[in-house]
Amino acid sequence: MYQVDAKVINQTEVIENHFILKIFAPEIVKKAIPGQFVMLSAWSQRDPLLRRPFTFNRIFCKEGSFELLYKKVGKGTEIMSNLKTSDQVSLLGPLGNGIKFTQNMKRIAIVSRGIGVAPMLAIVDSAKEKGIEVYAYLSAATENLLLRKEEIKEKAKLIYITTDDASLGAGGKVTDFLAQTLIDTKMDAVYTCGSKRLKNHIESLKETYGFKAWVILEEHMACGIGACKGCICRAKKANNHQDRYLLVCKDGPVFPVDEVEV
Amino acid sequence: MIEKVNMSINLGDLRLKNPVMPASGTFDLYEDNHLPYDTKILGAVITKTIFLEKRLGNPPPRICESTSGLINALGTPGEGVEYLIKKKLPVFQKANQTVIVSIGGDGAKEFKLLAERLDKVEGIAALELDLSCPNNEDNIIIAKDEFLTEQTVAKVKEAFTKPIIIKLSPNVNDITKIAKAAQRGGADILSLINTLSAMAIDIKTKKPVLGNKIGGLSGPAIKPIALKMVWDVAHTVDLPIIGIGGISNSEDAIEFLLAGASAIEVGTAALINPSVMLEIIQGIEQYLVQQGYSSIEEIIGLAFK
Repeated sequence: MYQVDAKVINQTEVIENHFILKIFAPEIVKKAIPGQFVMLSAWSQRDPLLRRPFTFNRIFCKEGSFELLYKKVGKGTEIMSNLKTSDQVSLLGPLGNGIKFTQNMKRIAIVSRGIGVAPMLAIVDSAKEKGIEVYAYLSAATENLLLRKEEIKEKAKLIYITTDDASLGAGGKVTDFLAQTLIDTKMDAVYTCGSKRLKNHIESLKETYGFKAWVILEEHMACGIGACKGCICRAKKANNHQDRYLLVCKDGPVFPVDEVEV
Repeated sequence: MIEKVNMSINLGDLRLKNPVMPASGTFDLYEDNHLPYDTKILGAVITKTIFLEKRLGNPPPRICESTSGLINALGTPGEGVEYLIKKKLPVFQKANQTVIVSIGGDGAKEFKLLAERLDKVEGIAALELDLSCPNNEDNIIIAKDEFLTEQTVAKVKEAFTKPIIIKLSPNVNDITKIAKAAQRGGADILSLINTLSAMAIDIKTKKPVLGNKIGGLSGPAIKPIALKMVWDVAHTVDLPIIGIGGISNSEDAIEFLLAGASAIEVGTAALINPSVMLEIIQGIEQYLVQQGYSSIEEIIGLAFK
């Protein structure tokens, strides 16, 4: 884990209140893998006080930079949204456990909803690099909230899209498309983020089709390094039926879908 | 390179190479840890508060940011004392030569059992008694009661041969009375303050934000309150004091030393900036050199001398 001050390369507001922030941080990038995150601070005053966690949206190994995709929701992201080229941010990272592809993987699926697409492009990039085929299933309330759709489309073998208002693609559940694919196409792994409903549906599909499946969780964090024990999720009850919590920052943020309750 | 000043400090029989330590509950070490500094430079390391048995802790959300502060309701999750001894203690001992174990309990009896068990374990420099955790399920807060404090401290003192540190709660009418009770019980060192009782409400859901509804406030917001309590206790009780509460940089730390604390613990600030304790140690050294002191002991309690 590195603690570094890093420069903003650029920032774009892709749609209202949604931003892509590109940062130059070669030390962090060198070790970063998809699914991991950074703790970022763009403020030196004490309000806001805490850093904010962000997953890698895209990792540019050669450039030594990465992109974050975020939605402006509060004080911290409000300040971030004003960052300009050459501004400085403070980073801790890379943190948490990322995605590890195994050698025998031939085909994976990504299933996300809304801003849950944030870790997916990095996964797609990395899979593509390793010659793994990607099927993408993206869902959002409206067409404009299908962020990173074009970049994913470019690299994916197939892309399925649904919007709640049917402004693009069909309405309905994006996991129903996945279920259809699974009838005649074997997936080695499925990754999901951004929706409890999608996660639970994938978990039941996993039981039928036997692929590996992971969910990438987000949670409010104070430290991001396993010190404060603030960012917990509930572990699925094991045989002894004891309640147990896991730390999203240290045990995750990538969890097997059947190990956590959301 | 700055001139060498003597940063070592004696808190009674507890000798520290410098006065800067992490605050219990905000610090943890793992075997694969690589903090961005060498933890050997710290005055001591302090474990999370450990109970006899495993504790699940509170349901989420456990933390919530407030203006210049952090409200937590962790509920002291932990794996119990035997796990600490077998798994955590070796990691802490590798990280620093001085290890302080923070202990908690539902009553004097549990504290005594813990003290007896830990007295048999090598490589523990002191115990810190968390009598004041404000958010445990049963809500018994020993630190709010003079009699319970004195009784609990006395029981631990009987069972543990090395120094015991009593951590005081700010959520009392008069912290100096509890400090005196701890002294009567046989406390070697006092540490103060724990978090201030606090809460937050989500105006959208119209419900408390924290899973436990109420929690404890830490961070820069509480520093002036903590400083004043250290000042009060330093005037009242003739015991070494460890100052805690919102210390975020060396200036804050020096204020506590001037108010009468012989050492300090850093909590919330280290969650945000893992290197802050290193910066504080260096900042205190620089201050001493600039002010013409040769040892840290010279500035302790200077504000009221």
